[in-house]
Amino acid sequence: MIEVARLTRRFGALTAVDDLSFTVEKGEVVGFLGPNGAGKTTTMRILAGYLPATRASVLTVAGHDVQRDSMAVRRSIGYLPESVPLYPEVRVDEMMRFQGRLHRMSRGTLKQRIGETLDRVGVLDRRKQLVGTLSRGLKQRVGLAVALLPDPEVLILDEPTSGLDPIQRGEVRRLIGELASERTVLLSSHILAEIESVAPRVVIVHEGQMVADGPKDELVNSLGGDGGHVLVEAMSTATPQEMAGLLRALPGVTGVDVGERVGIHQAFAVRGEGDLREDIGALAMTQGWALRELTWRRPTLEQLFTRLVTGVDLEDSASATASGAEPFTGDSALPIAQPTPDEPAPAPKPLPLGVPGTAQPKTIYSLNPFDRGASRDLSKPVSVDPLPIDLDGADAETEGDEPSRGDGA
Amino acid sequence: MNGTFVVARRELGGLFKAPFTWILLLVVLFLNGALFSLFLANSQGNVSESLEQSMTGLAFWVWMIFLPALLSMRLIAEETRSGTLEYLLTAPVSDAAVVVGKFLAATGFLAVLWTSSLIYAVALDGVGGSPDWSAVLGTWLGTVFVSGVFVAIGMLASTFTATPLLAAFLSMVACVSWLVLPWLAARALDYILPLVTTTPEGRDALVERVMGVVANMDAIRHFQRSFRLGVLDSAEVVFFVTWTAFFLFLTARSIEARRWRG
Repeated sequence: MIEVARLTRRFGALTAVDDLSFTVEKGEVVGFLGPNGAGKTTTMRILAGYLPATRASVLTVAGHDVQRDSMAVRRSIGYLPESVPLYPEVRVDEMMRFQGRLHRMSRGTLKQRIGETLDRVGVLDRRKQLVGTLSRGLKQRVGLAVALLPDPEVLILDEPTSGLDPIQRGEVRRLIGELASERTVLLSSHILAEIESVAPRVVIVHEGQMVADGPKDELVNSLGGDGGHVLVEAMSTATPQEMAGLLRALPGVTGVDVGERVGIHQAFAVRGEGDLREDIGALAMTQGWALRELTWRRPTLEQLFTRLVTGVDLEDSASATASGAEPFTGDSALPIAQPTPDEPAPAPKPLPLGVPGTAQPKTIYSLNPFDRGASRDLSKPVSVDPLPIDLDGADAETEGDEPSRGDGA
Repeated sequence: MNGTFVVARRELGGLFKAPFTWILLLVVLFLNGALFSLFLANSQGNVSESLEQSMTGLAFWVWMIFLPALLSMRLIAEETRSGTLEYLLTAPVSDAAVVVGKFLAATGFLAVLWTSSLIYAVALDGVGGSPDWSAVLGTWLGTVFVSGVFVAIGMLASTFTATPLLAAFLSMVACVSWLVLPWLAARALDYILPLVTTTPEGRDALVERVMGVVANMDAIRHFQRSFRLGVLDSAEVVFFVTWTAFFLFLTARSIEARRWRG
């Protein structure tokens, strides 16, 4: 239904779309993903006939060549740009009538389709309202209704949930989900979670080039998100190696990575056939392990995408902040060191949180601009007496980490 | 053709829904009426002379420069700003249909605006005055043709910027230039031509030929020598229609260039 091969579009020296190729079959719903400036909007504008392509070997929509038969393409598609272009001074049904006339719909068909379409998107009761007085969410719905009015074979929706609140987003997503069952839909977003919920297939673009294309589950696998693992954090009197041996002996387990100690708990990543939490839970119960964490972890498309595009692992940064521990997922962060019986387990790293009940050195930073000792080492005794005011030697007190203050007390 | 009328119809509807248009209409009708009474008082009740003055005098040309510019400034610039241009240019209508549709709407609106003078003529005819109907109707038609050229210039200016007021300013400068340039060129050539020829005969022939060309470019002269007299000369109609078509063509090209610029 949509066929794009070797599509390139340049704006002066900037190449917005670079040799992009993909196809969308009839009845398929494809999410077009990429960060801002990836070339999504440019590609959609080219497909809708708004922008010409600098070069393309194949560029067809609904069986019509976009470059040679733009009018036929425009008649076959419903295109909703990100800005939701509607005339603010007209009423909703007038806007719909204008769209119908542009598509040369007969008066009778138009009347019937306006009612049907407005009802479909849930704005039938607003048909007499001025477009300019509608909320952002309602405008989005009316924009969708305008695009749907001529009953197009292909729907091209550019960031259809942009600028909406979470409730409106959910409504628009549900609406698109319903439409998806009847039409070929190409929709773009830079929010992957949104696309994941609507489009079974995803095309990821970055800097005008395709990074990945396929069903999202396959993409997760192909982009390095393997079958996932169960994260176990447990406390036991047994050694980590003994615990790992027991875990490895479970049916379906293909590998166990011994992680770090997190406080009094030992972390493991258990890989195997699918989600093994029930078996691991049962093992923990029989062995008397105190479980702190038992989580099925699989990288989301968003994490993989971010890793691909920016090189930063979302989960790394997020979980490191949350727990203070190195997570298992993420290629660079994986502390995979399969301990063998001959080889001793790697020495545990210093605990970031320390042992409860013991005083830990801590440096605090003051935001008070008048606090001239801006940071100080709390492990050292600090005088609680007022500092002697030494007008002549005031400079000495401006030193940030001045040990003499504590020592002199 | 269908697309052109669909666009024109929406544009005309949009014009009549905008408060700005009604304010413009009110101000123009009020000032036109006041000027007409003034002309009537000055000419001791000479109906034909007053009508002629109100449709061809200096005030008329000032209107001619301001009104089409103010009306056409929104046509493309506003749509660029609001994003509706993308909607129109991806609708199943050609760029030419969009441009001509918008042009017809704005020119049609101005044609309605200029009928105020016709209404004065009808009113005066009713109370016993005797306006020269052929001159009145000819002038009205000529006014519509000139408005068409200025709207086309305004639309072209409107494609260059997303700021309507800047578009209006550009349009006014362009309209004044279009009106005044032939006159300025004639004055300049008066000095230049004698310098490039040696013999008096050659100079006279050259001056006559060049001045003929320059005079043919003078829009005011074209307007005054036919429409104002109540004569519908096809050559004059072609002159204005050609200029209008030329500026509309440039407008369509400018929109096409915008597609390439992105």
